Amino acid sequence: MKQMNIGGSEDHGGSTRISRRTFVKGAAVTGAGLAMGGPTLRALSTDTAHAAPGVMQGEWKSSFCTGCTTWCSLQVFVVNGRAIKMRGHEHSQTNSTYCCPRAHLALQQLYDPDRVKTPMKRTNPNKGQNEDPGFVPVSWDEALDMLADKIMELRDNRETHKFVLFRGRYTAVNSMFYSSVPRIIGSPNNISHSSICAEAEKMRYFLDGQWAYMQYDMPRTRYVLCWGADPLVANRQVSTALRDWGEVLDNARICSIEPRLSGTGSKCDEWLPVKPGYDGALACAMAHVILTEGMWYKPFVGDFKDGENRFKPGQSVPIHTFEENHTHGLVRWWNLHVKDTTPEWAEKLCEVPADQIRRVALGFADAAPRCMVWVGGGPGMQPRGSYASMATYALNGLTGGIDNEGGVLAYNSNNYHGLPSHNDFIDSIAEEGNQKEKIDQRGRLEWPNLARGVSGGGVNTNNVADAMLDEDPYLPKVGMGYFANFNFSCPGTQRWAEAMKKFEFFAHMTTHASEMSWYADVVLPVKNCMYEQWATLSHSSHKHTSAAISSPMVDSIWDAKAMETEIPWMLAEKLAERGFDNLLNFYKTFKDPETGREPTTGEELDLYSLKIRTQRYWDPSKHQGGDRFNSWDEFKEIGCWNSDEYEYRHRWSNMGTKTGKFEFYSETLKEALEKHAERHNVSVDRVLEVCNYEARGEMAFIPHHENPYEWGDPEEYPFKFVDYKSRLNREGRSANCAWYNEMKDVDPGDIPYDDVAKLNPRDAERLGLKAGDKVRLTSPIGSITCTLNTWEGCMPGTVAKCFGQGHWAYGRYASKVFGQEAHGANNNDIIPADNDRLSGSTAFYGHIRLKVEKV
Amino acid sequence: MPRYAMVIDLQRCGGCGACITGCKNENNLPEGVRWSNKMTETLGTFPNVRYYYRPTLCNHCENAPCVRGCPTRALHKVEGGITAHDPNKCIGCRYCLVNCPYGVINYTWNKPHREWENDDAVIPDCTMSPREQARALDVPNWPLYNPDPDYNYQAIRPTGVVEKCHFCRHRVVNGELPWCVEVCPCDARIFGDLDDPDSLVNRLLGLFRAEKLRPELGTEPRVFYVREFCPCVYEAGKGMI
Repeated sequence: MKQMNIGGSEDHGGSTRISRRTFVKGAAVTGAGLAMGGPTLRALSTDTAHAAPGVMQGEWKSSFCTGCTTWCSLQVFVVNGRAIKMRGHEHSQTNSTYCCPRAHLALQQLYDPDRVKTPMKRTNPNKGQNEDPGFVPVSWDEALDMLADKIMELRDNRETHKFVLFRGRYTAVNSMFYSSVPRIIGSPNNISHSSICAEAEKMRYFLDGQWAYMQYDMPRTRYVLCWGADPLVANRQVSTALRDWGEVLDNARICSIEPRLSGTGSKCDEWLPVKPGYDGALACAMAHVILTEGMWYKPFVGDFKDGENRFKPGQSVPIHTFEENHTHGLVRWWNLHVKDTTPEWAEKLCEVPADQIRRVALGFADAAPRCMVWVGGGPGMQPRGSYASMATYALNGLTGGIDNEGGVLAYNSNNYHGLPSHNDFIDSIAEEGNQKEKIDQRGRLEWPNLARGVSGGGVNTNNVADAMLDEDPYLPKVGMGYFANFNFSCPGTQRWAEAMKKFEFFAHMTTHASEMSWYADVVLPVKNCMYEQWATLSHSSHKHTSAAISSPMVDSIWDAKAMETEIPWMLAEKLAERGFDNLLNFYKTFKDPETGREPTTGEELDLYSLKIRTQRYWDPSKHQGGDRFNSWDEFKEIGCWNSDEYEYRHRWSNMGTKTGKFEFYSETLKEALEKHAERHNVSVDRVLEVCNYEARGEMAFIPHHENPYEWGDPEEYPFKFVDYKSRLNREGRSANCAWYNEMKDVDPGDIPYDDVAKLNPRDAERLGLKAGDKVRLTSPIGSITCTLNTWEGCMPGTVAKCFGQGHWAYGRYASKVFGQEAHGANNNDIIPADNDRLSGSTAFYGHIRLKVEKV
Repeated sequence: MPRYAMVIDLQRCGGCGACITGCKNENNLPEGVRWSNKMTETLGTFPNVRYYYRPTLCNHCENAPCVRGCPTRALHKVEGGITAHDPNKCIGCRYCLVNCPYGVINYTWNKPHREWENDDAVIPDCTMSPREQARALDVPNWPLYNPDPDYNYQAIRPTGVVEKCHFCRHRVVNGELPWCVEVCPCDARIFGDLDDPDSLVNRLLGLFRAEKLRPELGTEPRVFYVREFCPCVYEAGKGMI
């Protein structure tokens, strides 16, 4: 390859061109473009007469996106071992060739100059934000020797439960590391990031049995309520939402319910700026309108036996007068709460005018069943947020927009094949350790964390810091973390800074030296799973699930290893050298399904685990639906499997709730709460009291409004904080991408190269502040300093600011001075650590009061 | 000879900026330079407030003021009516920046991608310096280097001259859509030939009253906007006195 002259003195054109593909290949790619529906261009005789086409010889390789939990199927254009461009996956029936802007930023994550290129260890034993770890390179051998010694020490001392594994983002084979390594060592402590992700929205489980994310049938919908969700920007299926939205605007009425004008709010018919913390009141008022006006969807919900609508404001209804079809407890819900939740009542709380509530509710119900409430994290990720989350979702039940055309759908199964079980490799030491209480205290009276209705069923990520500081139930000694940065991404960062110091030994597996790495004893560089290893993730939208694979497609210039396969393999070898070979023997059961060969290296384990996970796609004898491939080689070339199409209404009266119905009065939640109460020998009311909910008695089992629990005196802290996500956030990992900083103005109200807090212009004027001022935002737990912007899209009385910046490590662009000074400010420094304890979700919204001062 | 044009359907546009990033990716744009860009406005007063987004790029005007005013003919018209730029002829006088009524021509003040010539590693011996990484990848400038635009422009334009959108001429003449069109996740950018009566651009121009930016100047832009970024509906009424 000839070197290009970027100074420009050399002639451009033929002499400096790198390898070009042939015209035939060019024509083939054009054909692929046509298949995607792109318009045809007339070839020009003058131009096509050029000797060689001007597009590179390269190959579109299968991958997926880890930029958010959508996990779109992608393709990467690879030329000579270098990734150059991204697009959606041409074989995917979900996002197809469409991808949101995050996908492009992934390239800059891959080729980030600040990636850790070698294992490194700290030389400064003192840990703290202001302590330079003094990292020096070490070999993989040395790094893993250190880790293995520490783990063996735990095993020798019968305190294996003091091992903790933190997981952030992951791939679909994660259980072989995340679940199996702690269990085989003997620790109950695999701690995921799930409770800082989205647990509160999963409270829909208690209505319709889905402890899961949902897909949204946009092409067929006629009314969309985006409730604390910003689908064109964040939350799930962003690529598909961007693709469909132009037509949704033609076909449907769209409302955005959120305290700030979001990216999606700027493309909807109506914006309902709800006061933070009052979503439940608004939702219950809408339910009240739908019922009093007789607008519920009768084929799903049922009707009064004599057809007379007895839902009159303030009046109870005899239960026997109503016959439900696919729902349960509507009249009890009405009698207990909704009969009183008039729009006028709600207006006083949520500040949305009653006539607007009425109009939107009726319009929404009029579109039934082709309507959807797209519930995001907003209403639920608040202290007491479970009930608001359920209230917003209950509107889907009232209108039959559930499991129905134009409504909210479950994910199609991804049909992944199970991975081998580790049960046979747990020895007596491990058995004993695994019985110990988990470090996050889940399941205690004050931590119901009712994932899938199980007491203590869900993780309690952000409580780990407090548990470690209190050494309750014990102090972990050895930790590993991968794709995680909890002391940046969890509210109340100060607690994490202290907690991380308490590890005797911490190994951080990461692409970048992040804030968590700062407290690590060794840092293990990992591959970028989109480009450098075998991996898979699946995605649901457009009534399908697609699962795409990535492969080692680029030349890796870093001495990095795959996080869930190669590193655990190497660790397993180290443990085996020390006489504990259970982990290695477990990994040897991951035999190549084609040849039956045991893996002998981490790379082989990486490949075989993927082949096992995807075996139902490519092994005809295991096929269970969806695309069928005849061999691994055939599947590997395409790289993407699609499920069969979603079957509407197959879940009606088969919801996975206790009654099988959509439960407005949740027998499922009642059972879960009663079991939790029974476990602690208290009443359900006592559980709710300890967990800081207002509900008592039967209110505990229905969606309803609870007054928000706030941190800070309104006199001292007059504003409420509205945290939200940037359309360029690859979760917390893109702040070191040059394009992220340069392009920050694609977030409405934001400014390139800056991290701004936004205030309504009238509030700013009242405070004597103007755009560009440096301001200090102070909540009861701390202060951050950032730039002020004034923006009409900000609800008066609130301060809105994107999450994602404020890194003091991570890299040269993410930080102002690497390792010392942050660029912008981390919202989590001022968000108090609080929780919605029924779902186990960490609270990010509704509870944060603050004051704004000029610096 | 075709006449290339782009229709931007604002209703489909999600305001996501993928076109801007995609363009930077395809054309190796240095930091701070955008050929594909946007104009935004926030209008109204809370709670009656709206945010508008309009993608912008070179309009490839039929009557291009930048071409007419270029003293060295560095800016010139090429096949399909594309307004092209020849960096070898450009003397960096920036008349075109003044003459272009749309502000879509960029001047390159700094050495492009010079940040990749930096020798500082954030953690010495443990992370690479940008230069070290570029070398390891065997690229002369930046890791995402795409040589394609070199076909009929210059893959990376030198310091001291202007640069601009060329409708991805290197792709278009080879039968491929401009990359901003390909990467638009909303199908908001539609590219085609005005002389082809069956082209989607012609269908759209017949369907909607297309808007051209600053038509009073007589530049005859080849970028057309149809529909509204936010086509809201509202309840009818006559207002009141």
